[in-house]
Amino acid sequence: MAKSLLIISRQAPWNGPSAREALDIALAGGAFDLPLGMVFLDDGVFQLANGQQPAALQQKNLAANLQALPMFGVDALFACGHSLASRGLAAGDLALPVQVLDDAALTGLITQYDQVVTL
Amino acid sequence: MNTLDSGGQAIALDKDGFLVDLHAWSHEVAQGLAAREGIALTADHWEILELLRQFYQEYQLSPATRPLIKYAALKLGAEKGNSPHLNRLFNGTPAKLAAKLAGLPKPTNCI
Amino acid sequence: MATLHVIAHSPFGDERLRSCLRLLGADDAVLLCGDAVYALRPGAAPHQQLQQANLADRLFALDEDLQARAIENPLATAVDYPGFVALSLHYDKVNSWL
Repeated sequence: MAKSLLIISRQAPWNGPSAREALDIALAGGAFDLPLGMVFLDDGVFQLANGQQPAALQQKNLAANLQALPMFGVDALFACGHSLASRGLAAGDLALPVQVLDDAALTGLITQYDQVVTL
Repeated sequence: MNTLDSGGQAIALDKDGFLVDLHAWSHEVAQGLAAREGIALTADHWEILELLRQFYQEYQLSPATRPLIKYAALKLGAEKGNSPHLNRLFNGTPAKLAAKLAGLPKPTNCI
Repeated sequence: MATLHVIAHSPFGDERLRSCLRLLGADDAVLLCGDAVYALRPGAAPHQQLQQANLADRLFALDEDLQARAIENPLATAVDYPGFVALSLHYDKVNSWL
């Protein structure tokens, strides 16, 4: 049985490579059928905002790519409720079907995975 | 440079035979690319190529094999969304070859 | 499954330490290295957060990074690199806050 991996993505989408790298880990792992989960934490929740139009920045559309996660077999998608609330984002503002978890539930989630990486 | 002759036009290809300009794709170009791979495109092929272009439109990336199968099963049903069907159509490497014929970038998560 | 959280970024103007403390499990530990050891400067806000987190013997800092930055530190257990490795093996997994 392959080891499970939880990817915690906590950087905003258009400011550097971290958000893209976290997603690439998830897509590559999903393509190989690894048991994966992904958490959006801190500024990482900005990746989930509806209506982003990065074409003006000449960047690939990370928000569109994120939609592909379920197709790549990555269905365990979570967001930190504290991070969302403190950034003025509501569950209805999100472009991805994530489960919103409080701190205690996130702590429990992290313990369930064999490995965890925070980007 | 690697090119494909399509109706008298020279279409630029990269070293792996993928289109350099994704907008250069047309049905004629797809047929030309398929001929280079020894494939005569049938209705079954076209259905998957259209599906891939739809996938790219939606997610802005080329699928690896597993997501391609899943997407095909979702959109076309289980009798089309399975690896024997896709392998038979695309010489055993559906994600890579079908992406090429559909005019998409090479899938990055595909080894 | 207890986790060793490793943080290397300065806590000033950065959320890693705060978020880590929010999500810390009861058996988890924190190891500070690089600029993260500035969190141990007495009187600084992150120092207070660490005190309030009450980690006792679950807070570690890399000794050479403390020395290099002149941090007098009674709050964390100082470890050298072999100690770091031993901690990594002791916990079920390591979460590096990259």
